[in-house]
Amino acid sequence: MKIVIVGSGKVGYSLAEQLVRENHDITVVDVREESLRRASDSLDIMVVRGNGVSAGVLREAGADSADLLVAATNSDEVNMVCCLTAKNLGTKYTIARIRNPEYTASLAELRRNLKIDTVINPESATAVEISRLLRFPSAANIETFCRGRVELMGFRLQEGDFLVGKPLHSLSGQIKKLSLLFCAVERGGEVIIPNGFFVPNVGDKLYLIGRPDSLDQFFRILGRYARKVKQVFLVGGGKISMYLAAILDRSGVKLKIAELDEKRCRQISERFPQAMVICGDGTDQELLESENLSSCDAFVALTDRDEDNLIISLYAMQQGIPKVITKCNRENYAGIARSVGLDSVISPKFITASHILRLVRGMQNSQGSVMNSFHRIAGGAAEAMEFTVSASTRHLGTPLRDLSLRHGVLLAVIVRDQEIIIPEGSSTLQAGDRVIIISRNSGITDLNDIYTQDKAAPNAAGGPQ
Amino acid sequence: MNLKLVFKVVGRILQIEAVAMLLPLAVALVYREDPVPFLWSIAIVAVAGTLLSATHSRQHFYIREGFAAVGLIWLITGLVGALPFWFSGQFASFVDCVFESCSGFTTTGASILTDIEALPKGILFWRSFTHWLGGMGVLVLATAVIPSMGIRSHYLTQAESPGPVFSKLVPKQSQSSKILYSIYCALTLAEVACLKLAGMPLYDSFIHAFGTAGTGGFSNRNPSVGAYGSFAIEMIIAVFILLFSLNFAVHFLLLTRRFKEALQSDELRFFFLVVAAATAIISINVYPAYSNLLETFRYAFFQVCSIISTTGFSTTDWSYWPNFSHAVLVLLMFCGACAGSTGGGMKCSRVLILFRSLRREVHRIIHPRSVEVIKLDGKVTDEETVRSVLIFVGCYLLIILSAALVISLDNFSFTVSFTSALTCVSNVGPGLEAVGPAGNFAAFSPLSKLVMSLCMIIGRLEIFPVLVLFSRATWRRA
Repeated sequence: MKIVIVGSGKVGYSLAEQLVRENHDITVVDVREESLRRASDSLDIMVVRGNGVSAGVLREAGADSADLLVAATNSDEVNMVCCLTAKNLGTKYTIARIRNPEYTASLAELRRNLKIDTVINPESATAVEISRLLRFPSAANIETFCRGRVELMGFRLQEGDFLVGKPLHSLSGQIKKLSLLFCAVERGGEVIIPNGFFVPNVGDKLYLIGRPDSLDQFFRILGRYARKVKQVFLVGGGKISMYLAAILDRSGVKLKIAELDEKRCRQISERFPQAMVICGDGTDQELLESENLSSCDAFVALTDRDEDNLIISLYAMQQGIPKVITKCNRENYAGIARSVGLDSVISPKFITASHILRLVRGMQNSQGSVMNSFHRIAGGAAEAMEFTVSASTRHLGTPLRDLSLRHGVLLAVIVRDQEIIIPEGSSTLQAGDRVIIISRNSGITDLNDIYTQDKAAPNAAGGPQ
Repeated sequence: MNLKLVFKVVGRILQIEAVAMLLPLAVALVYREDPVPFLWSIAIVAVAGTLLSATHSRQHFYIREGFAAVGLIWLITGLVGALPFWFSGQFASFVDCVFESCSGFTTTGASILTDIEALPKGILFWRSFTHWLGGMGVLVLATAVIPSMGIRSHYLTQAESPGPVFSKLVPKQSQSSKILYSIYCALTLAEVACLKLAGMPLYDSFIHAFGTAGTGGFSNRNPSVGAYGSFAIEMIIAVFILLFSLNFAVHFLLLTRRFKEALQSDELRFFFLVVAAATAIISINVYPAYSNLLETFRYAFFQVCSIISTTGFSTTDWSYWPNFSHAVLVLLMFCGACAGSTGGGMKCSRVLILFRSLRREVHRIIHPRSVEVIKLDGKVTDEETVRSVLIFVGCYLLIILSAALVISLDNFSFTVSFTSALTCVSNVGPGLEAVGPAGNFAAFSPLSKLVMSLCMIIGRLEIFPVLVLFSRATWRRA
């Protein structure tokens, strides 16, 4: 597809990087020479220098024949005008990043009047992601499919967990009865799709997929079931905090928010009268202690600086807070953070790019099976996708044991009507089913992509452990 | 420095070159000539290429590897091209073969041959075909036919493409390369057809079309294009020379019907202005020799096109022209064609930026606190580019002078030493006096020939890839 990205900042660059890997034609527009130079030096893309609002610049970037335009500059207004201009030039689909809460309030009109097809708000998307983690504190991260009927969550194995050192097929009947599947393992930076003979080790991050109640039960058996979060400590009172506070406030969670700027504190207190707002340096340990940090169930570090977030998160972890969530935009930091035990690292840039990627994948196969949702797991090393099986899907009605799936692809869950099926060798696909696929190689855009070209040897993928 | 990956790329290019040699082999077979020189060369190159491309490396490919690989590939290509010449037994020494091959691939067109017409047709075909391959670039070809060499291929084409700024026609490098080669092939075939219609034999048409397309200048006739004595042929070649000296982005814009953008190019206007002015000046200067307006224009126009595009065809022995005309032609050799074309020289856009920064410098002396940006095509050229252009021009002169210094060991006149260095670095072909359009480079010592061969590659790659290759920092670990 021909894609124009306006703005080569954090999100623009990481999006371009990801889309180039999926073999799209990318043109990046920006006014800043240095960031364009960096982008064109390291990625196989075309760059156009100029203001994305100008029709001339957009035409030079090929917006008149582009399939998609993503406006991701720093300014909401530029993004909006950019989408409007592009749409008038002939771009088929436009995505704007709009982060100002005042605009988000009147989103429907904006979208209609400015012809923006999708609006992405990184801060609000991040807040939604964090709130999901807080609702289910046992997992390091969690994704939902089929409107919440299936959940995918990752957790790290610790010393003494009963899973450690035993192959998966030898698990007790109690676990086998549960409707869930071990679908991926992250070990030493690599992702493994496990079979029944896989032996989990301490430090592995396991990904489980299944019904939410089965997952609940699993964590109960594991002895890792954390009680519901009732009190959350937020450090930093930026946009994400505001969105997050709004969500948590609605569900009755008690909030403590530490923010340095007094004016900002007043604004927060005005909007959330229930919340306790503390004006002070949230990275100061004395302040955290005097505010009785250890009594909180969860701690979220949301300051502007990745480094500060990481350090105070480590401190919070040391204080024994059950759930610590860290905002960190730099991907290389996230890897280091994971290695010291900070599992829930959230990157707004990553979330935004994933959102857009999901849209692009969905647009690519307008015919054929429809991709309903798409999540990147294990730091982007694997993908989880939900498809609806259509009549054009191949091998309908063939038992899975007679099919051969591509290497590194797992058919994890079939949802038929209300029923959630963990596939076995005898399971079949039917039109209208929804299926969840886990894949190590990116680039699956259609359900038919999961099969090998020649359906030779039967594959054990999809079998239960 | 990730040598393994560099070797892998070199191997792939060698494989492509082995395939390219099949064409002259076919020509040799058609004319019932000895195919053995080509068979040997293909075998050697194919085996070496396959061995090298079998190396495996998981490491990354950065701009440093890109530049070093391009430099290395061109040095090796110079040797590879020499193989068929050497096996044919028509050349006096291997150094001569290397000179001829470098001159071919870099589209210089300088020759050490005294009697071209005595050579077999297959060898002459290969000699001209190297122009065609080298004109658009072997790496551009590689990125077009092998879409993913498993590396960031734009680093390679970036180092090979001429001009101060590297730009792509479409977002994907492989797609961009394909478009470039399609335009290139189409224009070449169009020229072959035109020449054939104008009465040139088919074989000669191909040879001259290759010479024009790469802006090289090898002919299969001793007196070059002048041998045909046909006004039509000369004008066809001159017009195609001008087409090939334009930035191929302009051709692409015209093809996609973006006429306004195409004509906005400052470089394009500057190029045509220089051609017109030089033709007029030389016409006035040489008019007394011909005393016929049409005849004067015919020779002056062809020679100007041939020299500014750095092709080097000739229709007349302009060694007998007045000194003033020589001086104008030497200036044209410096200037060269447009960026993004197949021509050599410093490139018109660099000359433009040079003039504009000169003007700015003068303004700064008069108004010390003035702030002024340099624009090209109505857009601001960033200071980084301006700086690199100025360094490039300085380096260019330095290299010509150093080469002239070495060549002067052979004890020819200063004009000969200097213009032969200039003509090699600018990839033109003929110089003045002994190395003029009717002369050749046979008389130089092997040392001078090797220096000139290196100069041609330095000029073709626009200096930096070769300098990177010879820099110690490139080879140091970490």
